[in-house]
Amino acid sequence: MEQHLMWNWPMIVYLFLAGLGAGALAVSGIVVLWGPAGEFRHRAALIARLGAFIGPLPVIIGTGLLIYELGRPFRALNLFTSNFWFLALNPSPMNWGSWFILLFCVFATVYALTFIPWRTLLGGERGERLEARSERWRAPMATICVPLAIAMAIYTAILLAAVPARPLWHTPVLWLLFTVSAISTGLSAIILVQRFMFRKPGAVRGAVRREDPAFRVTEYYLVSMKVLLIIAELVVIGLFFMFAHMTINSANFAVQTLLPGGEMATTFWVGVILVGLLMPAFIEGFYLLRTAVLGHEFEWPYVINVSAPIAILFGGLMLRYVIVVGGQITGPIGI
Amino acid sequence: MSDSSDSPVSRRKFLKTVSQGAAAVATAGVAGGAMHAAATKPAADAGKKNNKVQYGMLIDLRRCIGCQACTVACKAEADVPMGVSRSWVEYVEKGRYPNAGRSFLPRLCNHCSEPHCVRVCPTGATYERPQDGLIVIDQGVCIGCLYCAHACPYDMRFLNPVTRFADKCDMCIHRVSKGLVPSCVNTCQGRARIFGDVNDPNSEIHKLIARNPVSVIRETYGTQPNVYYIGLDTTDENTKKPGQYVRVTTNKANSPKRT
Repeated sequence: MEQHLMWNWPMIVYLFLAGLGAGALAVSGIVVLWGPAGEFRHRAALIARLGAFIGPLPVIIGTGLLIYELGRPFRALNLFTSNFWFLALNPSPMNWGSWFILLFCVFATVYALTFIPWRTLLGGERGERLEARSERWRAPMATICVPLAIAMAIYTAILLAAVPARPLWHTPVLWLLFTVSAISTGLSAIILVQRFMFRKPGAVRGAVRREDPAFRVTEYYLVSMKVLLIIAELVVIGLFFMFAHMTINSANFAVQTLLPGGEMATTFWVGVILVGLLMPAFIEGFYLLRTAVLGHEFEWPYVINVSAPIAILFGGLMLRYVIVVGGQITGPIGI
Repeated sequence: MSDSSDSPVSRRKFLKTVSQGAAAVATAGVAGGAMHAAATKPAADAGKKNNKVQYGMLIDLRRCIGCQACTVACKAEADVPMGVSRSWVEYVEKGRYPNAGRSFLPRLCNHCSEPHCVRVCPTGATYERPQDGLIVIDQGVCIGCLYCAHACPYDMRFLNPVTRFADKCDMCIHRVSKGLVPSCVNTCQGRARIFGDVNDPNSEIHKLIARNPVSVIRETYGTQPNVYYIGLDTTDENTKKPGQYVRVTTNKANSPKRT
């Protein structure tokens, strides 16, 4: 890469982590608001809890990386203080984003606090009181967090798409690509953590038992959802290429870096498409079809069990890498 | 170039008198006052907008010899650190011997009237100066996020490695606010660079833009640049025809290729 990169790895990792956190929080909030009842109740509560705990952490780490890259921690406060009314009328995507990050960190943390098992942690009257308060606040906080998380996922793409001088970023499909990838990676992170938790046969965590039929059915639905998201992401990547190919100017030129023969082609086709999307889709699709068509138990080897979500997470990171770097090494054609 | 020998005051007085007389004749003579007012309103607005001072530059590429004196003058004047550039001269070579040629393209911030960099700045640190239309960066507000650098279609902005803030050509505001011309204009050996108020009908730059076929670079981005070129060759490595030989040397430290 002879070209000088202005946005480097902290930005790439930040975009990935922000998407991951937003996706996990969105999944958690949706489960709290519209989750199943009955025998699936405990299982849904576990997914919501994991999502709520995963949510704020990556975003806080990612924001820390950005501030580290700026080099002056307190200068970053200018985003909130300087020319407030001017920027309220002429908003920059990054200014919106900084407010989204702030609100996200605050609300996601409060939301995560409502999932702490206060009763078992503190005990006594105080534990009971906090537990009751948590349960009362959980659904209202989820109502705030779901739109905020989706806005956060969309903003990470709008941030890039708002600059016409970077033709690879300046496409109306980027927000869809990043949002689908965010929810996909968020869900994968939740699945990955709970696969570690229920690693051993007969594992019990609270009210959830690995041997329950509800556990297996939920796992089946979660994995189906993940495969559907992968298919959706492949469709959006197809749209991304189509949009670039329909044009005859800089966007078409820029997308050549991702197509075979381009500078980023290997990274994109191996890292994002093969490892990040096709491999997990085929592995999980195989076990899903085995259950759906042949009626086998939904069960698979532990190594594969864990490697599929890791591959999706890796693919999400590589997608951000390819887009951020590819956008910077290409530019407008002609002068 | 300009007729500096005759007295500008008397000429201005003369023009004023003539225009006032014409206006009086027009208002008195034309019937249907409302219609007349509606017809003249846009023209009046346009005149008002043109009264705004907008500094710009005209580069006559027929006179540029690619000596890089402007590059050096800029580097010295603005104390630009090593590895980055505010202004540079690109060499464009094309064709095969004996039908070959080399042209020069001096580059600097276009001080656009519709700047993308100002639109995306998350802190309002970069803004258009109301008094002269130059785009400047407030180093006390900038956070160095480089969003503006991505938004600029001309690749003019960079991270100053010493201050760690966004930096670019500021048309030597410390000089032009004292009535001097920018350093690159001052040093130009072939007098290829003309600096002045684009909106002032009496300025040399306004007259030259009015008389000559001028063009701006990357006009399709809608940024309305205020740096004009006479004799601009838009040949680029990315848009060359099959079999055509084109080589662009940017002479810019941090990006050897045009972006």
